[in-house]
Amino acid sequence: MKGESKAKRYRRSVWREFWKQRSLQIFVLAGIVYILIFNYIPMFGLVIGFKDYKITSGIAGMISSPWVGFKHFVEFFADYKFVELMRNTLVLSILKLICSFPIPIIFAIMLNEVRHEGTKKFIQTISYLPYFISWVIVAGLLRIIASDSGIINDILMRAGLIAAPLEFLTSPRFFYGLCILTAIWKDTGWWTIIFLAAITGVDPTMYEAASIDGATRIQKMKYITFPSIAGTVTVVLILALGNLLGGGLSGSNFEQSYLLGNAGNREVADIIQTYVMRIGLSQGRYSYATAVGMLQSVISVMLVYSSNFISKKVSGDGLF
Amino acid sequence: MKAEGKKKKKSMQDNVLDAAIVAVMILVVFSCLYPFLLAVIMSFNEGIDALKGGIYFWPRKLTFENYGSLFKDPVWGNAFLVTLARTVIGTTMTVFFTLFVSYGLSHKDLVFRKFYFSFFIFAMYFSGGVIPYYILLRSLHLLNKFWVYVVPGCLSLFYILVATSFFQGIPEEIAESAKLDGAGELKIFRSLILPLSKPIMATIAIFTSVGHWNNWYDSAFFATSNKGIRTMAYLMTAIINQSSTQNSAADAAMAAGVRTTTTLSIQLAAMVIAVLPILCVYPFFQRYFVTGLTVGAVKS
Repeated sequence: MKGESKAKRYRRSVWREFWKQRSLQIFVLAGIVYILIFNYIPMFGLVIGFKDYKITSGIAGMISSPWVGFKHFVEFFADYKFVELMRNTLVLSILKLICSFPIPIIFAIMLNEVRHEGTKKFIQTISYLPYFISWVIVAGLLRIIASDSGIINDILMRAGLIAAPLEFLTSPRFFYGLCILTAIWKDTGWWTIIFLAAITGVDPTMYEAASIDGATRIQKMKYITFPSIAGTVTVVLILALGNLLGGGLSGSNFEQSYLLGNAGNREVADIIQTYVMRIGLSQGRYSYATAVGMLQSVISVMLVYSSNFISKKVSGDGLF
Repeated sequence: MKAEGKKKKKSMQDNVLDAAIVAVMILVVFSCLYPFLLAVIMSFNEGIDALKGGIYFWPRKLTFENYGSLFKDPVWGNAFLVTLARTVIGTTMTVFFTLFVSYGLSHKDLVFRKFYFSFFIFAMYFSGGVIPYYILLRSLHLLNKFWVYVVPGCLSLFYILVATSFFQGIPEEIAESAKLDGAGELKIFRSLILPLSKPIMATIAIFTSVGHWNNWYDSAFFATSNKGIRTMAYLMTAIINQSSTQNSAADAAMAAGVRTTTTLSIQLAAMVIAVLPILCVYPFFQRYFVTGLTVGAVKS
C-alpha cells in the first residue's frame, strides 16, 4: 500500500519535472517525431516483404495487405538472376575491400615520413579532394580518360602494348578493376586523415628510444607506427566489413554499379541494390523488391556481428 | 670502421625509402589533380575536335562555346538554380534542426534522456531500405516536389551525437545565469548558444552542403516525372547513361551543322562549373573534417 503510493508519487514527480523542462522536451520531441516518421515507419514497412502490398493502399496498406510468408524470398532464390546478382555483389564488395582497405594505411605511414610540415599538409589536402567529388563527376572524368581516344589508351598504343584501344568502360573484363581503382582514388585521402591522426598520437619518445637502439626507419614503421595504430585499423575494418555489401568504407557499390554499368558490362555490373531499384521503382514490384533488399540487410547484420566476434577472439577487443 | 659501414648502409636504405616516398607523393598529387585539369582543358576545346583525342596539356582549338551553350541552355540554367536552392535551403534546415534537437538532448537532467538516445541510435543502425522509404515519401506527397530534396534528411542522427557532445562542453552556468534573468530556453538557444556553436555549425554545414550539391540520387528516383526540378548532378547522369551510339548520332548531327560542341563537351563545362565551388571551399575547412571524422569514429 505504502509502496504503491511511493511509486505514484515518483511518477508524479517525473511528470512534474517533465513539465518544468517542457520547452527543452519540445526541442527533443520535435526530433523524435521526425525520426519516427522518416526512419521508424520505413523500418516497420519491411513487413511488406512478407505481404502482397499494393502501392495504392499507401502507408495503411503496410498493415492491411495480406500476409504471404516467404513467397517473395522463395521467388528470388528461384529467379534466374539470383546467382548472378549474388556473385556480382560479393565479388565487387570483397575485391574492393581487399584491394582498397590497406591503401590509406600505407599512404598514412608514408605521408608521416614527409618531414616538411607544409608539404605534408599540401599533399594531404590534395589527396582528399576526390572525396568531395560526386560519383557522377568521377564517371564523367572516366569518359575522357579511359575512352577509346582517351589518354590511357593513347599511352598504351604509343608504347606499342596494344594494337587497338581497350574498351575499359564497356567491356565486362575491366569493370571490377575500374571500380577498385576509382574507389581507391576517391577514398584514400579521406581515410588517411583518421590513420594519420592516430599516427600523430604515437609517443615520440618511442621513436627516439628506437633510434638510440639503431633501428632503421623501416623498422620503426614496422615495429612502432603500425602496432600503435592497429586499434584504429581494427575499428575501421569492422566498420568496413559491416558495410561490405554496400561497398566498404564509403559504401559506393550502388553508385559504381549504376553509373559505371552499361549495356556492355551489365552481366558483371548488376548487383542486388541496382536490381532492387529496377524491379521496385521501375517495375512496381514493391513487396518483392523489399524482400530482396531485406536479404542484403540480413547478410550485412550477420557480417557485422561475425567480424566483431572474430576481432574479439583475435585481438581481444571489438566494437561492442 | 664497422660502424661506418653500417651507417653507410643505413643511409642507402634511407635514400631508397625517400625516393619511394617522393615517387608515391608525386603520383598521388598528379592523379588527384590531373583529371580535373584535363576536364578544364577539354572544356575549353572545340567539342568535335576533342573527339579525336590527343589533348592533354592545353586546348588545341580554343573556344568558349561549350560554356556559352551551357549558359544559354535553359535546362542547365534551371538545374543550376534548383541545385543552388536545395543546397542553401537544405543545409540551413539541417543545421538548425539538428542543433535544436541536440541542445535539448545535451541537458543531463532531461527526463527520458536515456530513452531518447537509444531511440536515435537504433535508427542510425537499422533502416527499412529504399522501397518502404519510397512508399513513405509517396504517402507524404513529397514525390516529384522540390521538398523531397530537403525535408527527408533535414535531421542528421550522426550530427545529433556530435553536436550533443559539443554542447555538453559549454559551461552550464552560461544558460543558468540567463535563466535567472528570466530568459526562455528558445531565447537562450538563439542568443547565447548559437553564437558559441560556430565550429559545429560549420562542420554540419560543410558536409550537408556538399551532399546536396552532389546529389543525383533523389532527383533520379524520387522526382522522375518532374522535369522542372532536376539537379545538375542528375542531368550529368542522364548523359552518362545514354548509350554511346545515341551520343554519336547526336554528335554526327552536330558535326553536319555549324555547331562545334558535343554533348560531352557541354557536359565537361558543366562538370567544371559543378566542381569549382567545392574546389574553392574545401581546403579552408580541413580542421572541421578532422574533428568530424575522429569524433565519428569514437562514437561508432
